[in-house]
Amino acid sequence: MKVIVAAAAATIALASVANAADLVVYSAGPKPLSGGLAKGFTKMTGIKVKLFQSNSGKVMARYQAEKSNPQVDVIISASWGHAITLNKSGDLLAYTSPNAAKIPASLKTKTYAAQGAAALAIAYNTKSGLPKPKQWSDLTKPVYKDQISMPDPAKAGSALTLVQGLASAQGDKAWKLFEALAKNGMIVPGDNRAALRPVLQGARGVVFGAVDYIALGLKKKGETLEVIHPTQGTVLAPRPIMIAKSSKNQAAAKKFVDYVLSKEGQTLVAKRLILPARTDVKALRPGWKELKIINYDYVKAAGEAEVTKAKFAQSVGK
Amino acid sequence: MTTDKSAEKGRRLRPALFGLSTFLLIVIVGFPVLAIIMFALFPYINELSFREPFNVLLPNLSNPRLIEATLNSLSLSFAVTILSAVIAVPLAYMRARFPLRLGRIWDACYLVPFLIPPYFGSLAWMQLLQRKGFIEQWLGFNMADFLFSFPGIVTVMALHLFPLIYFTTSNAFAIIGSRYGDVAKVFGGRPVQVFFRIYLPMVLPALLSSSLIVFILTIEEFGTPEILGSRFGYEVIVTSIHEKFSDWPIDLPGASVLSLILIFIAFFAFQAHQKLSDKFQTTVENQTIDRRGEPLPPVYLAIVILIFGSIFVLAVVLPIVTVGIAAFMDTVSGGVTADNMSFKNLLGLFDRESEAWGAILTSLSLAVMAAIGTVVIAIIVAFTIVRLRSAATVFLDFLTILPNSVPGMAVAVGLILTWNQPWWPVTPYNTPLILLLAYLCLMLPYPIRMVTAALRQLPKSLDDAAYISGASELVVIRQVLAPLLLPIALAAGFIVFAISTRELVSSIMLAPAGVETVATYVFHQFDQVSVGSGMAMSLVAILVSGSIIAFGQKLQGKNRTGDGS
Repeated sequence: MKVIVAAAAATIALASVANAADLVVYSAGPKPLSGGLAKGFTKMTGIKVKLFQSNSGKVMARYQAEKSNPQVDVIISASWGHAITLNKSGDLLAYTSPNAAKIPASLKTKTYAAQGAAALAIAYNTKSGLPKPKQWSDLTKPVYKDQISMPDPAKAGSALTLVQGLASAQGDKAWKLFEALAKNGMIVPGDNRAALRPVLQGARGVVFGAVDYIALGLKKKGETLEVIHPTQGTVLAPRPIMIAKSSKNQAAAKKFVDYVLSKEGQTLVAKRLILPARTDVKALRPGWKELKIINYDYVKAAGEAEVTKAKFAQSVGK
Repeated sequence: MTTDKSAEKGRRLRPALFGLSTFLLIVIVGFPVLAIIMFALFPYINELSFREPFNVLLPNLSNPRLIEATLNSLSLSFAVTILSAVIAVPLAYMRARFPLRLGRIWDACYLVPFLIPPYFGSLAWMQLLQRKGFIEQWLGFNMADFLFSFPGIVTVMALHLFPLIYFTTSNAFAIIGSRYGDVAKVFGGRPVQVFFRIYLPMVLPALLSSSLIVFILTIEEFGTPEILGSRFGYEVIVTSIHEKFSDWPIDLPGASVLSLILIFIAFFAFQAHQKLSDKFQTTVENQTIDRRGEPLPPVYLAIVILIFGSIFVLAVVLPIVTVGIAAFMDTVSGGVTADNMSFKNLLGLFDRESEAWGAILTSLSLAVMAAIGTVVIAIIVAFTIVRLRSAATVFLDFLTILPNSVPGMAVAVGLILTWNQPWWPVTPYNTPLILLLAYLCLMLPYPIRMVTAALRQLPKSLDDAAYISGASELVVIRQVLAPLLLPIALAAGFIVFAISTRELVSSIMLAPAGVETVATYVFHQFDQVSVGSGMAMSLVAILVSGSIIAFGQKLQGKNRTGDGS
């Protein structure tokens, strides 16, 4: 036991050495991506990166809780809504990276830009013996009875964007769709992982609204998953990168944003099977040209998010 | 039990002990909880501003879903507490009749549930019982309808929490010894009568005290209601709180308001517990710690072992085997087939790039420090609460249950609000020490409840005898009470160690850059849906901390026989 205590003391002594000049980055997953970006950045600029790696919710919770003594310089979230909220409250530093030129206009503003995006898709377990679904509405067919799992828009920002996008594109038809899915025995078991898990384990067959790069990554690892982007149109969940106005290290923060949006940084993004924000960097998955994307007013939708969530809960009888 | 006036005078360290206990509890527990309460009242306190006070209270409290969630939380907690007691008390009673060695082995076994994060336990049960789960693959039926129901959640949670009651009450049975029962038997008491009329009332303080902690823990537990409850629309307060933390929008003041409800519930539970304990206060004169009553006849012993074994299989073996199988599966969708099983996940933990070993070492060292720290603090605080009883100590006593009544996420936010302030000359925030502080805060309730329950049973005449002989409080604590409290203190220490090795939520929120614990490692694996690697890491963590606990239990056994008691 003494050895362990001694080792602990040593670990703590080592880890407490902090440097004010280091760039502090809070990033939502995937971890290999944020780790890779930090490493590449340090190699190029010599600036060390202190990375807090978690999910969007915890990144934002930490940011909010730290407000009286802000620690973070750059935030990467997986939820566009966070950027909208922070922009509205005046928390973000205005910066347009020269490398953002090739990012579609809908995915950049004066204060934040997409680092990449996920598309919402149908993921189905090929071992389930179900016919391959092609469109969102296919899943209301009786053959998919009790086979569908969907992430909860109240717990997964990506699922919320899907509901917002479909509702803005199809109006009432979208709400009817959710009602029909609920009638078809759809479960809404929680966040993205909770929705995917029963499908991987075989208890269900199809995810309605899977984050595509996660499903594609699992497929690459050998899971029997097939990812379908409905040709009726799908929705993007862009991943914003932004600089905190409170940052005491703004020059380095800008350099970091430049790096993430550079060809090198975007190639790292593409490697995780995420859709790179820059249209001139090759996607290693269905890219900008292959996807039919439903565009809608993100800011307006964010303002109505509570209503949308409540309406969804009502239509699926939660 | 008369108190000698001269003995009273000798106790000069009283104010010092009281001051120390108050200081420790306020710094470790009071600050973060106060921060949460302030956040609920002043939604901009995170910017150190008192503007728009009370603005978030009403909108959050008037949510119609909240009433149902509160009722659900209460009924879940009652049901889990009752079921845990029903499982634990008979086991604890039988435990006192075991040969010493055998008893220790079962104790070690029943510590294992603490090593399994409840979140994993629930995942394991789901994998076992759901449609096309392991049970269906092997035996051809599933129990999804049971699992995703109120009784299902209650069972899963009780199987995880009953050991808390088991350890506290079995210690109480041991302190009573068998003499009282023997006397009753001499006068013709039947075994059932002896149990209900003699033993049960005598262990009631311990039972109530541990039930309180189970109740509070159930109110606060997130993983199981989230994983199992969301499948049938069962919402409790904690799941509502987590919704405010989970993705977007993040609503920290709102989450704090809902945490206030939990603090209120904890307060009422605590009041009820105080009333009941006062009513049934018992002390046992003539401490001897002779736990060996008459040895059980072999047939009874066999039956008792069978009962212990079945509970062990349900609470420990099934979940761990499931985690184990998942750890060996290359792909989740591949199922349990020979060509889908390999050591890939386990070996992956130890390749060059992996941070797994470092994470395990960090978790183990933090857990050891948390265990030692909490137990030492618990003994001091317990002495203050039980022996120096006053209005102020009742407040301290209440303070000690608070961290467990609030979700870990909220405690983490409270700790950030407390320690990330520019005015502190030095702060543990952004160093691994913040994790230790978080563990102390979250784990203190266990040893404090267990040690105070045991101390309440020890007669005050014991201390008085020492005071008359000129001993100071420190000597009384060190040489009189501590040896008597050693078994329960060790059990508490092991529980804290076990829970700390796998503490999930606050570690993820508070870990400074570059510090990985078992929990953060598992979290990142799960976040990428690398279920296998996550499960492999958990399995290794369970095995490593399990063997440390087993080793500790063995040492304890040696010491005990060395004492010749």
